[in-house]
Amino acid sequence: MQRLLRTTAVGVTASMLMSAAVSADTLVLSTSGGVVAEATMKYFVPAFEKETGWKVQQVSAEGTRMAEIEAMVRAGNPVWDVSEISASNYPIGVQRGLLEEVNYELVDPEGLLPEIARAKYGVVTASYSTVLMQNTAKSPEGKLMTTWADFWDTETFPGPRSLREGPEYNLEFALLADGVAIDDLYTVLATPEGIDRAFDKLGEIRESIPVWWTSGAQSVQLLTDGEVIYATNYNGRASAMVKAGIPISIMWNGGALHTTYLGIVKGTKNLEAAHAYLRVRATNTESQREYLNFLPYPGSAPGLLESLPQEVAEQLPTYPANLAGQYVANEEFWAANIEALRERWDEWLLE
Amino acid sequence: MIAALKRSVLIWPAMLLIVALYLVPSFDVIRSSLFDPDLTTRHIDRLIDRPVFMTVFWRTVQTSLIVAFAGALIAWPVAYFINAQPRRSQFLLIFLIFIPLWMSVLIRSYAWLVVLGRDGVVNSAMLGMGLTTEPVQMLFTPAAVQLAMLQILLPIQIVTTYGAMTEIDLDLMRAARILGARQGQALRRVFIPLSFDGAMTGMIIAFMLSMGFFITPALLGGPRDRMLGNLIEVQVAQLNWGFASALGLLLLFGTLGCVIVLRFCGRMALRVLK
Repeated sequence: MQRLLRTTAVGVTASMLMSAAVSADTLVLSTSGGVVAEATMKYFVPAFEKETGWKVQQVSAEGTRMAEIEAMVRAGNPVWDVSEISASNYPIGVQRGLLEEVNYELVDPEGLLPEIARAKYGVVTASYSTVLMQNTAKSPEGKLMTTWADFWDTETFPGPRSLREGPEYNLEFALLADGVAIDDLYTVLATPEGIDRAFDKLGEIRESIPVWWTSGAQSVQLLTDGEVIYATNYNGRASAMVKAGIPISIMWNGGALHTTYLGIVKGTKNLEAAHAYLRVRATNTESQREYLNFLPYPGSAPGLLESLPQEVAEQLPTYPANLAGQYVANEEFWAANIEALRERWDEWLLE
Repeated sequence: MIAALKRSVLIWPAMLLIVALYLVPSFDVIRSSLFDPDLTTRHIDRLIDRPVFMTVFWRTVQTSLIVAFAGALIAWPVAYFINAQPRRSQFLLIFLIFIPLWMSVLIRSYAWLVVLGRDGVVNSAMLGMGLTTEPVQMLFTPAAVQLAMLQILLPIQIVTTYGAMTEIDLDLMRAARILGARQGQALRRVFIPLSFDGAMTGMIIAFMLSMGFFITPALLGGPRDRMLGNLIEVQVAQLNWGFASALGLLLLFGTLGCVIVLRFCGRMALRVLK
């Protein structure tokens, strides 16, 4: 295992070296790529570079991010300094000791951030939601789904749909469609009967799901190409589609609210600069506000939500009307149960 | 002896490359499926206990066999046609066959989305001609995956088969005709057996490459069309290195076993042909 990790790390290192030689004062930052990378480069990196004199090199990583970090950490030579850590990956990173403990004396010396944003191994940088998106041009007679029960109603809403390939949050959506109240979601899921109930409910809809997506970009493509009419995705992806002329409506009701973290890769040689980047990313109100014009993923910088233009504010997952019907995804539940549920999921998909 | 040793020097750089970049990591994969961190059979046990993994393995084998066999049936006539052309046209035709290989598998798989989609080329044409009133679901089916894999691997099969055909002395065909064989007989008794090995090699290469396919079933397949490569990716993303390695082991030895069986069947078929 150690050796395998080392071999992988050598491969990762080699490819990094080939893409660009990393000079001494360069911070390597791993983000989700796509629009997130673009917005980060535009709004946060310049502020950080101006303050510290460092340069930033950004790399894109999606599904296998934690595997890459683990390979680097075990090899004792992390190539990345700072990485975005999704809510479901955060508990894994903590359990496996892949993240440095954040020193809030450096990140937030004046105590501007709310307590909830100051996690031990990463600073919370954004909220986002997994929500249902519907192509209003293809939906019958322009009718719109308003609940998860509608998603299951193939009489009123015929046509192909898509959900993420994996049990996470889909089991919750199924239970919501089956009439479970938001507050009871995880009590129900904690029982074997609850899990059966969720899988049974998913079984009712599977014939209407020709494809299960594996990345946010794929879900966008499925909706854009007209392969499906309804698909879940991360709320920020909607604006890109609307800009491309696809009429997309978000169903906030029953969405899953998540937080995303910025963590420091264990063993980095640029600990101080890494903290400086966390500070800029988490507390610079001006950069965060400009970022919101581009991507509706709000952070916790002081005063961010005051005096936001209405059309920006109502796109945010934390906007009161949007927040009302959502549930907070329980990432600890998923970190603890993913292995068994994933296996069941794989078997269920093949049935 | 010394001379043989001296000659073998030529192959050492290639051997070194294979040992360092292939064999050593392969042994690491075997090791990490058995040690996690101490000797354990739990990854192998899980592989055997849960039916899902073997089901996916057999589906992977099945898909790869269909793709490799269909590819061989298409590649052989194409290679025969090219081989029958004048020297200069042969060069041009092989060059044309190579062009798709310069595009990545990802892009070629993606292109099929445009062709087979609900709003795609084929469906639009069929709707336009009134052959159907509702778009036909062609994407996310086994056929879509097999079609795309076939298209991706066909150039390799054609070139391998053609390469073997160029080695065949066409005077042998003439000799058979002189000795009284009809055209079809000469083809069946002389040319096909002589080109059989090349076609078989092309088929085995296509089969081995198919076994490791990952992007194409992920993009074009439905939930039941996932292959072993897709399951390995899921395990790696969850940091289950040990179990991912065990799946890799299944893929490696499963493929090896299938190749041995294929070779054997090929030899039997050749005996029947002769």
